[in-house]
Amino acid sequence: MSLWMSTETGDRNNRRRRERRIRSVVAMVAAITVGVVTAVLVAGWTVATGARTGLLDLQDGSLQVTNLPPLLRTADDRLDELRYDVTCAAPETLPDLACDIAGTVFVRSGTTGSFQAIPLAVDPKSEVDRYVASLPADVASRPAFSYYAVVHDNRTGETVTLPAGGAAAPQTSLLLTRPVTVSLGKHGFGTVDHAAARVASALWGDGPGRAGLEDGPQLEPIGASSFDVDATGTVRVLDEAHHQMLRFGAGHPNAPTALPLEVRGTIADLRANLDGGVDVLESVGAPGDTPVLHRFDASGRTTGSWHTAEKTATALRVGPGGPLVLEYPSGEWMPVGATQTADSRTASASQLENASPGQRLADGRQIVAQREGSEARIALVDARGVTASWRIRSATPLAEIQLAEPFGSGVVVVLRTYSDTQDEFIALVLGTHGIERRLSIAPDDWAEAAPLARFRVVSSSLYHLGSTPTGMFVDRYDLEVR
Amino acid sequence: MHFTRLHLSKLSISLAVAAATAFALTTAHVARAYHTHFIALNCNTNNPQPTSSFTRDGSTSVALRAQYEGYQWAGGCWNDNNVDDSPGDPTEDPNTGGEGPDCSGFTFKVWRESTTESDAGGYQWNMLRTIHGPYTAARFRNGDGAPNTTYPKSGLIRMDALASANHIGLIYAPNANGTDQIIEAKGEAYGTNIWTRTYRGDSNYSGVRRVGWSG
Repeated sequence: MSLWMSTETGDRNNRRRRERRIRSVVAMVAAITVGVVTAVLVAGWTVATGARTGLLDLQDGSLQVTNLPPLLRTADDRLDELRYDVTCAAPETLPDLACDIAGTVFVRSGTTGSFQAIPLAVDPKSEVDRYVASLPADVASRPAFSYYAVVHDNRTGETVTLPAGGAAAPQTSLLLTRPVTVSLGKHGFGTVDHAAARVASALWGDGPGRAGLEDGPQLEPIGASSFDVDATGTVRVLDEAHHQMLRFGAGHPNAPTALPLEVRGTIADLRANLDGGVDVLESVGAPGDTPVLHRFDASGRTTGSWHTAEKTATALRVGPGGPLVLEYPSGEWMPVGATQTADSRTASASQLENASPGQRLADGRQIVAQREGSEARIALVDARGVTASWRIRSATPLAEIQLAEPFGSGVVVVLRTYSDTQDEFIALVLGTHGIERRLSIAPDDWAEAAPLARFRVVSSSLYHLGSTPTGMFVDRYDLEVR
Repeated sequence: MHFTRLHLSKLSISLAVAAATAFALTTAHVARAYHTHFIALNCNTNNPQPTSSFTRDGSTSVALRAQYEGYQWAGGCWNDNNVDDSPGDPTEDPNTGGEGPDCSGFTFKVWRESTTESDAGGYQWNMLRTIHGPYTAARFRNGDGAPNTTYPKSGLIRMDALASANHIGLIYAPNANGTDQIIEAKGEAYGTNIWTRTYRGDSNYSGVRRVGWSG
C-alpha cells in the first residue's frame, strides 16, 4: 500500500512536472509566436507609415521617374506599351524595398484633344523596377499620339509628372510612314576623311593663347568644352578652365584673343549670338540650384542669367525665340530666357509648359532625332505632321546623335559609331533619295567636352571640335555635294 | 653688457615666439580654408550589413542618396542633405577629409561590394561609413575582383557602369538621342550628380557589370 501510495504519489508528481514542463514550453512558444507576429506587424506598420510619421529616413525628392520615349515609330515596331523606370522612397537600411506607387499615363491620339487615363502596372519581365501602361491599338497605330504620366509614391505622398509640363507639353510619338531608308553597313574603322582646313588650334597650358584643362587627379582630361562658328568664320571656343573664351578670327587659326567670362569653370555648352556675344549653358549649378544659362555681350559682360527648370541640362541650341535647352528628366527642348521675369517659379513654369520633344527651328518646323538600337531616325515636322523622315540603319552599334539639322532640302546628321574598343563619327548629308555625302571623322576626343557640342554646321561647312594630348583644335569639312 | 645681452636674447625669443605664432595662425587659417573635418565629425567605421539579395533598383536608391553631395578623392562618406559640405578642397590632396565619394568609391558602395576581392556577395554600407573599397576606375574597367566583370557596351542597362583608366560612372537612364544619363562622382568642382554623357560610344570607356543582381 505504502509502496503503491508511494508509486502513485511519484507518478502524480511526475505527471505534474511533465504538465508544468509542457505548460512552460507552450507558454514559451506562444510568447515567441506573439513576439514574432508583433514584430512583423510593427515592421510592416513602420514601413507603411514611417515615411509620413518621420520614423524612416527617406531621402527628399526620392521619387524619380524616367521614360525613354518612342519619339519616332515605324509600322514594324509593334509598340504596345509605354515603359517607366521608377525609383522610390526606401529606408537606407532597406534600399531594395519594392516601390508602393500608383501611376496613370494620360494618352491621346494626335496632339490635341482630351487624354484617356491608363493605369501603370509592374512589368514582371523587367530587371529593374519598371512599370508599363498598355497602349490601346487604335492609339499606337495613329500618325501621332501624345502622352504624359503622373506617378504617386504612396509611402511619402510625393507625386511626379513626366514630362513635367504635363498636358501642356506632353511627349509626342510620330509614325514614320514613308521614311527614306539608308544602310551604313558594317563600319570600317580607321579610314577617315581629312578636313578641308584647321580653323583654330591651341596648345594645352596656362600661357597666352593656350587652352586650359580642368584640375583633378581622378578626372579624365576636360577642356575646351564647347565652341561655335559665326557667319564670318570667326571661331569661339569656351576655355572654361581659364574662365574665358578664345576667339579665333577667320584666317588666324593660331592667334586667339582671350575674353574673360564669369563662368564656373566646369563643362558648359556655348552658342554665338548675332550681336557678337555668346550664350553659355553651365551643366553645373550653384549648390542646390539647377544649371544656368548666362548671356554675355561682345565685351564679355553678363547681360542675363536664367536657371533651367530641370536638374540636368544637356545641350544648347538656337530656337526661333532664343536659346533652347535639352533638359532631363523630361527629355524635352525648353526655351530658357524667353520669360523676362525675376520670379524663378514663373520662369520655370514657362519653360516646362513651352517644352517640345523636337528641337524648334527658326522657320517654325521641328527636327526630331532618335537613336533606336543600331538605327537612327530623323524627322522634319510641321503643324501637319512629319514632312520628311530618314531611317539610318547600321550593322555597327550607334551611340549618340551629335547633330541633326536641316540642310538644303534634307538634313545633315552626325552620329557616333562604336565597338567595345573603337569609335568614329559619321557625318551624313541626307536628301530625298538617300545619302548625298558621307564622311568618317576621327573621334579626337582626348579631352572631354560638353556631350553634344562637338559639331556645328554653318552655311555649307561642318565644324568639328577635337583634342589630342597636346591641344585642342577646330577642323572644317565641306558638305557640298560633289 | 650682460644685461643688454640678456635683454637681446629675450627680445629674440619674443620675436621667435611671435613669428612662430603668426606662422601657426597663418597655417591654421589656410588649413581651415578647406579642412571641414567632415569625415572626423560625421562618419563611422561600422561593419556592413551582408545582404543575400541586391537589386538594380535598390542600388539606384543607394546612388540617389549621394546626389548633390560632394566629391572627395579616395573618399566614401556622405550624408543626404543635398549640399556639398566640403566645397573647394584642393583636388590634389586625398587627405582633406571632405564629404563625398570619388568615382570608384561611389561605384563600390552603390554596387554594395565586399572589401575582400574574392567575395562577390552583397554588403550594405551605411552612407556615413567611410569606405572606398579596393578598386580604382582602371581596375573596375578590367573587371577585377569577383563581383565585377567586363560587358559589351551596347548591352549595358541601368546600374551597369562605363569605366576608363581614370573615371567610372553608372548608367542611370538612356536618352532618346543615344546619350546616357550617368550618375557619377565627377570631381571636386562637380560633386556627385546625374549628367548627360557620351561615355558609351567613347572608346576610352569600357562596359562593366556587377554580377549577382537579384533583380
